[in-house]
Amino acid sequence: MLRYIRLLGVQVRASTLVLMQYRADFLTEGLLEICWALTALVPLFIVFRERESVAGWTYGEALLVAGWFVLLQAILEGAINPSLASVVEHIRRGTLDFVLLKPADAQFLVSTARFEPWRATNALTAAVVFVQAFWLIGHPPSLAGVLASLLLLAASTLLLYSLWILTVSAAFYVVRVDNLTHLFSSIFDAARWPASFFRGVVSFLFTFVIPLALMTTYPALALLGRLSLTTLALALGGAALFALAARLAWLRSLGRYTSASS
Amino acid sequence: MISAAGLAKHFRVHKRPPGLRAAARSLFRRNYTTVKAVDGLDFEIGRGERVGFLGPNGAGKTTTLKLLAGLLHPSAGSLRVDGHLPQRRENAFLEKIMLVMGQKQQLLWDLPPAETFELNRAIYDVPRPRFRATMAELTELLELGDLPSRPTRQLSLGERMRCELAAALVHRPAILFLDEPTIGLDVSMQAAMRKFIKSYSEENGATVLLTSHYMDDVAALCPRVIVIDRGRLSYDGGLAELARRIRPEKRVVLHLARAVPSAALAPLGQLVRHDVAEAVLQVDQRALAATVARALASLPVVDLTIENAPLEEVMGELFARSRAECGAGPELSAP
Amino acid sequence: MRGGPGTLRAVSARRVARALPALFRVSFADAVAYRAELLIWVLSTTMPLIMLALWSAVARDAPVGRFGPREFTAYFLATFIVRQLTGSWISWQLNHEIRQGTLSMRLLRPLHPFLAFVVEALAVIPLRAAVSLPVAALALWIVGPQLLPPTPALWLVWLMALVGSWLISFLASFAIGCLAFFMESSRQIMELWLALFFVFSGYLVPVELFPPALRWVAEWLPFRYQIGLPVELLTSAHDLPAALGLVGRQWIFVGVLSGTAAGVWRRGLRRFAAFGG
Repeated sequence: MLRYIRLLGVQVRASTLVLMQYRADFLTEGLLEICWALTALVPLFIVFRERESVAGWTYGEALLVAGWFVLLQAILEGAINPSLASVVEHIRRGTLDFVLLKPADAQFLVSTARFEPWRATNALTAAVVFVQAFWLIGHPPSLAGVLASLLLLAASTLLLYSLWILTVSAAFYVVRVDNLTHLFSSIFDAARWPASFFRGVVSFLFTFVIPLALMTTYPALALLGRLSLTTLALALGGAALFALAARLAWLRSLGRYTSASS
Repeated sequence: MISAAGLAKHFRVHKRPPGLRAAARSLFRRNYTTVKAVDGLDFEIGRGERVGFLGPNGAGKTTTLKLLAGLLHPSAGSLRVDGHLPQRRENAFLEKIMLVMGQKQQLLWDLPPAETFELNRAIYDVPRPRFRATMAELTELLELGDLPSRPTRQLSLGERMRCELAAALVHRPAILFLDEPTIGLDVSMQAAMRKFIKSYSEENGATVLLTSHYMDDVAALCPRVIVIDRGRLSYDGGLAELARRIRPEKRVVLHLARAVPSAALAPLGQLVRHDVAEAVLQVDQRALAATVARALASLPVVDLTIENAPLEEVMGELFARSRAECGAGPELSAP
Repeated sequence: MRGGPGTLRAVSARRVARALPALFRVSFADAVAYRAELLIWVLSTTMPLIMLALWSAVARDAPVGRFGPREFTAYFLATFIVRQLTGSWISWQLNHEIRQGTLSMRLLRPLHPFLAFVVEALAVIPLRAAVSLPVAALALWIVGPQLLPPTPALWLVWLMALVGSWLISFLASFAIGCLAFFMESSRQIMELWLALFFVFSGYLVPVELFPPALRWVAEWLPFRYQIGLPVELLTSAHDLPAALGLVGRQWIFVGVLSGTAAGVWRRGLRRFAAFGG
């Protein structure tokens, strides 16, 4: 266990060194991130221009969901996607074999290959959105709400990570993988809206199959004090189960890779 | 130490015929065919041995190496490397081996090789003092100089391969798999690498398995060769013996004092090359003594050497024979 | 005629014409060769469908502007179809080829690389049209034919708008891709374009519903003409005179982008040749 913590340190250091090489990117990427976050908010702004509430959510409340979305996207783009891109690159170049040759868990090595901390600028944007949301709502969140939402943040990160592992596992089956990252981002995009905006099949899809609702709507509900303890427990349990499923899928794909490739 | 019995590896590949209609059809239904990359290999390799894997392209050499390294699961047969089952990829096993692939690098692209060394040190859990000693030795033997501190992408292929070797040996593996390690390198670099691999193997008692298309690599490094042909073992023994089997004739190189007409040389043996001052004859082993005597007696010979046919030619003939045997036509060869 | 890479050499038009179908065929086969990738690529463009779900929810109680649930359905299904038919990813391809140096291979062929790029991009359209067909059928079934353009003239104008929007997508993507001649990677610029596209094109929100200030900006940027216009025409948002005016504006953008793309390409190619890629 200690060994893996040390390895994580080494990986982060390597990642940071790479980033220092491309200093100019820091600024431009950061600005681009903020740009994206703002575009995310425009439709919301337009929707709520004319009406007070939609599907039971007021503007301020919907902004909370959007804020969580921005935050999670920052984590996704900063900590998860870069490593995904590097795995995809490995598979394309045929150098994944080197990862498999190392006496360390391949999933760990692959997940910690690269970080891009400039995406953290959107964590700040998220903070701004939260402040704005609560200003509109009129009162600050309760302590219990904040705690619950932080727990959910951890669960959401785990969930996102598991979804990503599932995507990467698919990369073993798919020869041209450039679109995988796009796929992930586009589906994730639906998490910007409160879950109750969606009805029927789509709602089911986004609650249980790809639990986007869990990732952004539930934390918002927690902050608003509207999340029941049972739902919280279920959400955390669900995230854990998902992580397990992802691990199994990864091991399966790896088995297939080594049995059916050259 | 390494033992393989009935080792086999089959791939299921789908056929993609050309043409618009076939392409559209393949969207809905696919035709699969099985490629037998490795089709029943048996061999035993002892500790510290250096073995070369030879064979035409697509014979299954790289696949065999990957099976040995645990990167691929065998379809059939048994394989044990130092008591381990490679496919299990146990940490204890992985710490003993290393695979070096020519043209593919494990070096981190944007960073200096030194960072990859450091990363490997952490992954293989090499204690710092030992790491420092190893790196010092490797730097000297491979003549790295300050290469490890320059970003990998700025190095030439030869420099990169040297650093790649150093990165591969950080943990002093006991078993080294080399897949075309000298491909694309210039002659002096190839010689340097050969020298290094040989001395590393001798000093550390490391077992080396090498595939290469450069006969010089194999001749210099591997006293024993295994020829793999269409996934099957076709020869296992010394290289010299192999050459003798395929091309038992010897080459007699005559350096002549003055020009000699071809007619004078013809009765001595098959004329391979005839310049003004030099003639090369291919002579059957048994007639060698007699031919040499006659040449010395009847021709103005200044110098005479007896050689084996160049390995490249021998191998070329071996592979050509195997191609002729398996018939014409493009075949899906093992990747 | 001056030689050099990238200039239209005096190759016989007939030879080029003969090469094109083969090129088309190969690109089509290429696109079809990987089924899983196809599925992924289709799934990646589902944003309009998500937007549809969203806006339907919003319009459930009361319409937004003139858009009720049916109008939104028509709009976003049309958006999906138009996006499938006009989307262009050439900037990523160019970035990749310039970076890897494989662009040189194109320059060696007696076929103008631009032409080759165009044909390759067109080769994926049949596939995408095939994907759009069920969606179109679905749309017709749900919404009914009332919203479609009523006259053949308007259909023709729509067709022009569709071609125009394909061109805008392609040329913009191409021009940005060519920037990779001058910088390490023009990926960020493409992302910036995409971000602006999402907001100002009507992809996420019909332009009609924008607040007046934003609406005015959208009228003068090319993005709206990249998706918004064909979609609006398909859902009969404009009458013939207005439509013609808008299409006219669209083609001005096409002209400007053509010039830009040609310029960046030529300059970039000179640089590429000078530095050996």
